[in-house]
Amino acid sequence: MSSNGSVTTVQLPSIGQAEQPQIHFLPCEIEHDGAAQVSHYFTAVVQDHKHEISVSYRGRELKGAEVSCPKDYTGLVMKEDHKPSSDQEDRTVRISSTFHRFSYWNLTTQPSPDDGVVMSMTWPTLAEAIHGSVDD
Amino acid sequence: MDLGDFEADNSVSCRLASAVPDICKTEDCCLGIDEAGRGPVLGPMVYGICFCPIKKKDDLKALKVADSKTLTEAERENLFSKIDEAKDFVGWALQILSPNTISNSMLQRVKYNLNALSHDAAIGLVQYALDCGVQLKEVFVDTVGPAEKYQEKLSQLFPGVEVTVRPKADSLFPIVSAASICAKVARDHAVKSWQFREDLADVDTDYGSGYPNDPKTKSWLQKHLDPVFGYPQFVRFSWSTVQTLLDSKAVPVHWDDEEEDGEKAATKQSCASMLSYFGRSKSSGRTPHRFFAERKLETLESL
Repeated sequence: MSSNGSVTTVQLPSIGQAEQPQIHFLPCEIEHDGAAQVSHYFTAVVQDHKHEISVSYRGRELKGAEVSCPKDYTGLVMKEDHKPSSDQEDRTVRISSTFHRFSYWNLTTQPSPDDGVVMSMTWPTLAEAIHGSVDD
Repeated sequence: MDLGDFEADNSVSCRLASAVPDICKTEDCCLGIDEAGRGPVLGPMVYGICFCPIKKKDDLKALKVADSKTLTEAERENLFSKIDEAKDFVGWALQILSPNTISNSMLQRVKYNLNALSHDAAIGLVQYALDCGVQLKEVFVDTVGPAEKYQEKLSQLFPGVEVTVRPKADSLFPIVSAASICAKVARDHAVKSWQFREDLADVDTDYGSGYPNDPKTKSWLQKHLDPVFGYPQFVRFSWSTVQTLLDSKAVPVHWDDEEEDGEKAATKQSCASMLSYFGRSKSSGRTPHRFFAERKLETLESL
């Protein structure tokens, strides 16, 4: 429930029909929410030289790496088919795809374990250590 | 001309070269440098060098090489064959800078401009000739920028070589004309037989000369714009023509190294970004711990 009292329902059964596409996390903000020709313009031109992957987006060089979701976690892409007309209305979102790993891309710089995305994946382990139950 | 090595991966820079004639390793040589395809918004820019023994200059002249711009495509092809056939005393080498290399370089975080890119390509080719054992004594360079500074730079880099940088050198020195022909032939071939690495259906190959003011090039750019990706790598994204088209017809993209002026920042705010949905409401007033800030982790309260 959100602060304004409306309820958001996540349709979990849709997880079964969810696709498992390749997910790319880009170092820029694209003002677009919808379909895009990812496989035609992007995946098709990804270069893989000895596990160092690179590509260009809008003429800028990106260097990437694969990241796995933390153990026991699944990545979800959720879709809202009917946008609510007011923030009082209840909302329903379905799971359109799931993923367990994704590619993240840096602008020009070589990916490293110090990148925020990679480091953020350690939070669940840390959270478990802090908040998990303690065995005597 | 066989561009196979470049076509195998046309997203990077590629060097093509003839065999080095033995005579060039023992006799004092002259070398000419010229470029082709600097202005176009489409396709690669090609740097070319040609070299031969100084005492063979008249034999080169006898091939009737001339500034590539004054020749028809067929004449250039014909002259390139003659240059290539004169392999007992003429050698050539090319540096093909792919449009993707040009875009990537010019749009790096630390900008690498076209002049610097050109100079480095030329310097790389002269060094290549020296590394191959060519006895270089004279170098002639065609330039579009200020000649004196460039000449000074090259002279310092290559002591013992007499460097002449001159606007329109391609019409003054036959060895530069020969280099210009090699470069132009490579550029023409590369553009004509461009293999799109993108998975595009029905690409129109009638793109004209590739110059931004060519009506055919203009309409090709209008027709092949993708709102999210912009263009295939055949297009030089760093050209102002392309930036203008993307600004007006493609969806806006924001990078962290961009300096945004007030107006742009304002439009961005009025149209809520994806990230704003994940943002902690401003009223909570607590700054998250550095651990979370560094990882860009935020608490999600509503979708």
